[in-house]
Amino acid sequence: MDDHGTLLAVVLDLSPQQWHRAANDPQPLSLDAFLSQLLAFLNAHVACMHENTLAVFGAFPGKSVMLYASTDQLEPSSITVDANSYPPFKLLDTAVVTRIAAELDALDDSHDEEEVPCALVGALTKALCYVNRISATPQPTDGSQGVPPQVDPRILILSVSPDLSASYIPIMNAIFSAQKLKVTIDACQIYGGETVFLQQAAHLSGGSYLLLEHRDALLQYLTMSFLPPPSIRKILAVPTQDRIDFRAACFCHKNIVDIGYVCSVCLSIFCKPSPVCSTCRTKFPIKTLQRLNALRAPSAIDSGRPSPAPSNAPTPTATGINTHERTPSLARRTQSQQSPGAADGFPSGSGAPNRTVSSGGLPHSSAIGVHRNGRPNGS
Amino acid sequence: MAVDDTVPQVKKEHVLLPFLQTLNQTTLTSLYKRPSSCLSIFRLLSSLERQIILNLLWLESAITTSTLAAWVIREAKPLYDDALSTLSRLHVLPTGSGKLALNPTFKAAFRQAIAGGGSGGSFGVPAAEHKDDGRSGANTTVLDEYALERWETILHYMVSSGTDDRTRRPPEPSPGVRFLLKTSGLMQEVYGSLRISSVGFQFLLYSPHEQLWHLLLQYLHLADQRRMDLVDVLSFLFMLSTMELGREYSVQNLTKTQSAMLEDLRDYGLIWQRKQSSRRFSPTRLSTTLTSSSPPLPTKTGDSSGPQEGFIILETNYRIYAYTDNPLQTAVLNLFTSLKYRFPNLVVGSITRESVKKALMNGITADQIISYLFTHAHPNMRKNNPLLPVTVQDQIRLWELEKNRLKSREGYLYTDFASQADYELVLKYAKELDIVLWENAAKRCFFGTLEGHPIIKSFIERRSTG
Repeated sequence: MDDHGTLLAVVLDLSPQQWHRAANDPQPLSLDAFLSQLLAFLNAHVACMHENTLAVFGAFPGKSVMLYASTDQLEPSSITVDANSYPPFKLLDTAVVTRIAAELDALDDSHDEEEVPCALVGALTKALCYVNRISATPQPTDGSQGVPPQVDPRILILSVSPDLSASYIPIMNAIFSAQKLKVTIDACQIYGGETVFLQQAAHLSGGSYLLLEHRDALLQYLTMSFLPPPSIRKILAVPTQDRIDFRAACFCHKNIVDIGYVCSVCLSIFCKPSPVCSTCRTKFPIKTLQRLNALRAPSAIDSGRPSPAPSNAPTPTATGINTHERTPSLARRTQSQQSPGAADGFPSGSGAPNRTVSSGGLPHSSAIGVHRNGRPNGS
Repeated sequence: MAVDDTVPQVKKEHVLLPFLQTLNQTTLTSLYKRPSSCLSIFRLLSSLERQIILNLLWLESAITTSTLAAWVIREAKPLYDDALSTLSRLHVLPTGSGKLALNPTFKAAFRQAIAGGGSGGSFGVPAAEHKDDGRSGANTTVLDEYALERWETILHYMVSSGTDDRTRRPPEPSPGVRFLLKTSGLMQEVYGSLRISSVGFQFLLYSPHEQLWHLLLQYLHLADQRRMDLVDVLSFLFMLSTMELGREYSVQNLTKTQSAMLEDLRDYGLIWQRKQSSRRFSPTRLSTTLTSSSPPLPTKTGDSSGPQEGFIILETNYRIYAYTDNPLQTAVLNLFTSLKYRFPNLVVGSITRESVKKALMNGITADQIISYLFTHAHPNMRKNNPLLPVTVQDQIRLWELEKNRLKSREGYLYTDFASQADYELVLKYAKELDIVLWENAAKRCFFGTLEGHPIIKSFIERRSTG
């Protein structure tokens, strides 16, 4: 147990619609009640050590904002110090509450009726950028030390919205950069059902995922599961996931799929066989496409056994968008998918199909089908 | 990988905690009434202890011991038990009844600290804004320079008292400081003047943070003698540690004891006042970082001579290059090195057998020398693994062992046994009791411990009479 400060970046899901629903739930939790418990949690983090740093990011519909960062020093005189509160707490509480209020007020004018998705991924990405900035650059304070401080960063996502399948690719990219930065991502779903993506985020970065069951005990949950820094989590029985939903979303319709078809060149995932890979523009042999479609139609799940790809495969002409580094693990995840029960009845995503698949190409894609019992079916 | 294994860096508990544990429950409970004290004490605890407090903080009713124990993994049980017993001795978390609940006073005040509110004013009453009279409070630079100057005066005074060079005496600190140094045993009176003691030499090699707490601890020990209210003294220190650097605070809400403390703390460089009668004071960085663990005296900004953190380069040939022009650092180095040259920004010396023996004679241990070199190593040295040359480290330790070749024990020598049989009988008896320190069969004598003497004596008497 070495004692040095830790950096906690909190990502708040502040979707007004979801919070409205949460407040009218049988087990109500209003935004005000949530904020007061959250502030106590944030203060507790700052209280733990003088060196602990904190950043708070808010995800609003269509917009993400940094609400507070303890490294960005505000003018000390910008708040009035009173004798009954610790100045850093006061600064933090005032900053977070006023910023949230200002952002929510600004929202009410523009987006009234239509539901704009919450920019949770944007906030997460900003948090990662912040962590990267803090841990990469030496602190300019006093020029005392030239080495970057040991910050031990971690991110906590407090979400109330269901999975947004359109954000699958960015969220995966965020997870991989978190892995690279050695950032632990904790996730807590405060309202609503399980979210696949946050489960994966927590699992892949070594954090904890928690679906809140008793919303009135939010603060106790936060304190016990997310406050301990990684150094003492080793000796605590922090909640772990016994079941993780590893399903991926397809690149074409952003649906969460049980069985995906993976481009053999760039490893993009599709929900149905397509003649041309939309990412790298590879044309697939028509035979394979026909066979895959045939398998798909009656009993695709049980007997799909695609043949190995021909050796005279066309080489891709363009590599497409930057999806190369991360797709190998996508494919792996699709294969090792589990959670047999949770497969049915998942929301199919809100994004409309944005690409029509033209027929008559040369399919060359190998299906990676997965049995419901979790056995990989492709080769 | 293992970079740090050369230096003993055992995580110790904070020096203040054993002191707090000696206080009785009433004193501690009245201390816990103030949210700022709770927050500061909380920060001195280890991370597991902090987590236990936070887990219990928002619970209204007591929980059973086994419920909380289930929350740590089995391998960490000893750590957890240690943490619980520390908290129990601090009367923060009374154990023994089978149920666990925080001390209600502590719980209420700490909740207040976290959530805000209350009216105790325990975080210090800020002074009203200056009217337009041209005076302004001290800014951070002034405060830092002041704290550094005060602190180095004390240390420099201690270092230079060890030398006989009376021509270059640094300015003396105030009588209050000298009294504290004397009563704490860091200095002792020799021929009418104060000289640094062996404890004082060890003190010089501590980190600034440890030095500060060491002195404050002595100050707390003195509080009773000076009829100061210990709760007032402690809560004032804790209040200082939660104050904001660069802000002025009003003295109006201070108790009598605390107003008296202002003068002492001004001498130590913990607080700054424009003039003695001023109605307002500003905490310096020394006091605002009291409860933070890592930053060592972060007041070195005023100095011109480059990076102050880490200025020593040690080579395998025992040569030492110290990039400093600070007379204090040079004087501390001089405790265990023989200095050769001095340049405007560089001091060159070497570690020799004589210089290390001189340090050992002063009561400094080899480990202290090594850890001093370790913590002040130049950034370029940090690329080495291990950081300090192993030969030098080993040699310093060997020199220390040299000193310990002789061991003295008090005891009795038994000689002039009439016969070999007598000798063997008594020796056998003594060996059974494990009180023989040395024996020589040829000379028919052995040496027994002091404690064993009455037994041996009565045994011989019984034998000779019977």
